[in-house]
Amino acid sequence: MIEDKFDTKIFGDNKRTFAFVGDFGSGKTEIAINFALLRKALGKKVAIADLDVVNLYFRSREHTDYLEERGIRVVLPSREYRNADVPMITPTVMGSISDHKVDLILDIGGEENGIVVLGYLSEYLFKEDYEIVLVINGRRPFTRNEEDIVELYSRLREKARGLKINSLVNNTNLMEETTGKIIKEGEDLLKKVSKTLSIPIAFNSVAKGVDLEEVNLEYPIFWIKRFNIVY
Amino acid sequence: MSEKILVKGNEAFGEAAIRAGCRYYFGYPITPQNELIEYMSRRLPEVGGKFLQAESEVSVVNMLYGASCMGVRVMTSTSSPGFSLMQEGVSYIAGAELPAVFINVVRGGPGLGDIQPAQGDYLQATKGGGHGDYRLIVLGPSTIQEAIKLVILAFDLADKYRTPVEILADGMIGQMMEPVELPEMRPLDALPKKPWALTGAKGRKPNKITSFDLDPYNLEKMNLRYQATREKIITNEQRCEEVNIEGADILVVAYGTVGRIMKTVIELAEEKSMKVGLFRPITLWPFPYKQLEEISKKVSTVLTVELSGGQMLEDVKLAVKDNANTPFYGRMGGVIPTPEEILGQIEKLVKKRREV
Repeated sequence: MIEDKFDTKIFGDNKRTFAFVGDFGSGKTEIAINFALLRKALGKKVAIADLDVVNLYFRSREHTDYLEERGIRVVLPSREYRNADVPMITPTVMGSISDHKVDLILDIGGEENGIVVLGYLSEYLFKEDYEIVLVINGRRPFTRNEEDIVELYSRLREKARGLKINSLVNNTNLMEETTGKIIKEGEDLLKKVSKTLSIPIAFNSVAKGVDLEEVNLEYPIFWIKRFNIVY
Repeated sequence: MSEKILVKGNEAFGEAAIRAGCRYYFGYPITPQNELIEYMSRRLPEVGGKFLQAESEVSVVNMLYGASCMGVRVMTSTSSPGFSLMQEGVSYIAGAELPAVFINVVRGGPGLGDIQPAQGDYLQATKGGGHGDYRLIVLGPSTIQEAIKLVILAFDLADKYRTPVEILADGMIGQMMEPVELPEMRPLDALPKKPWALTGAKGRKPNKITSFDLDPYNLEKMNLRYQATREKIITNEQRCEEVNIEGADILVVAYGTVGRIMKTVIELAEEKSMKVGLFRPITLWPFPYKQLEEISKKVSTVLTVELSGGQMLEDVKLAVKDNANTPFYGRMGGVIPTPEEILGQIEKLVKKRREV
């Protein structure tokens, strides 16, 4: 039987600002939402900020009601701008970063254009013990091998204004066609990346229902609920 | 076939084009298809192709015209207002009998509209958005795997008939992700030869490509040639998918994203002991009139569902004639109906019929 206990303090005791970055379509939003739910389950006050200024389709502001019903505050631009095709960061985000009573989860937009936002927030983040997590799906174009992922990392670092990427998450999946073997492949890929970049792997994220009986994963398993709606 | 990867529709359009042998892409950004431009800007240099972001859609379409004259496979992508802006050039390309592939990731309209998925450009696509007597071949993918297949088909049909081809997608197909298998890369030397292309006339008679002739009799001749091609396409290229047709209580006609949602509706209907049939045109032009006409003889109601005010509905009515009722259900402005909502419409119609 696979051990599915997840160390909820995986990023240490004191951190309260978590940003999820990665190529677009890597699964940042889903992991950010699931991570917010996890922190909430620990009894924390949690806010999630959707800072995706690039993609206006599948992102956490689509799931506002779901999150708010569960007591998670969603930091969003005011309603009239919600579907606007303009890059904007609501000033409440800066306020939330400085509010030490709240765990803040940042859902960052795809690729280096997204991380520019993080760079913009760097002066606030530097004051905090932040965690920036790079999410990788090894079955996405442009993050299928070590070379491409290292290149992505370098591009992200360039735009991040000195912010450090602290950890890696293996989110390798084919949505409903994901198998244990696919997740294991992703873990093996990230092990190589981890060695090259000297950045630890935090966990494997696995959608509930995926059968892991046949594979032996070395890193912790974070069971997640998938949110993207496909008819 | 390679191992499966997880792709966005917009990325799949781009990769499929490259695998079909497209090495020239010109574009101008517009949501919701920007990932496609971005993908091409990154991938084309890797395969020795050329990517160029033009200063407007008007430039884009004329770049396509020029590159296609050289005999290479060319493509652009845009979204509704951007495609409107290209229409003059599309007409020129049709008149000059040049192969070119256009991907329209349709958004809410008219005007500036919004950036959510819609199907309001059906009439523009199928009845001719530009001036003059021409038609585009129009293909409507409903999944990302199918989009890959249809992009490759689009290039083949464009070359075969020397005509522009449009992929009529929508924001949902462009933005959603799906695991897909990609076909092998088509070797460039295996692509159809184009003896008509402008490749330098040394040692042969010069080729001429134009949509222009001041002599009305000559221009009519050109038009007759376009019409002959049109007839061939109508005869050879109609495609559709039929699901659950035999003994259906009601037939639904839907394409693209709605065609996809309908698969869920069919399952939901089965749980309620209703048999819903689906007719999904894949070629929106040429519309599969004959096939739909035959099927419509077996049912009393043919419901058309679209993300528009009722555009394909006109073609459905031409096909169904008096064989069945042709009610319509549509959402507009970028709103997508849920499967339950469509099922609700179907239930109302089935109930009404049972009462009669």
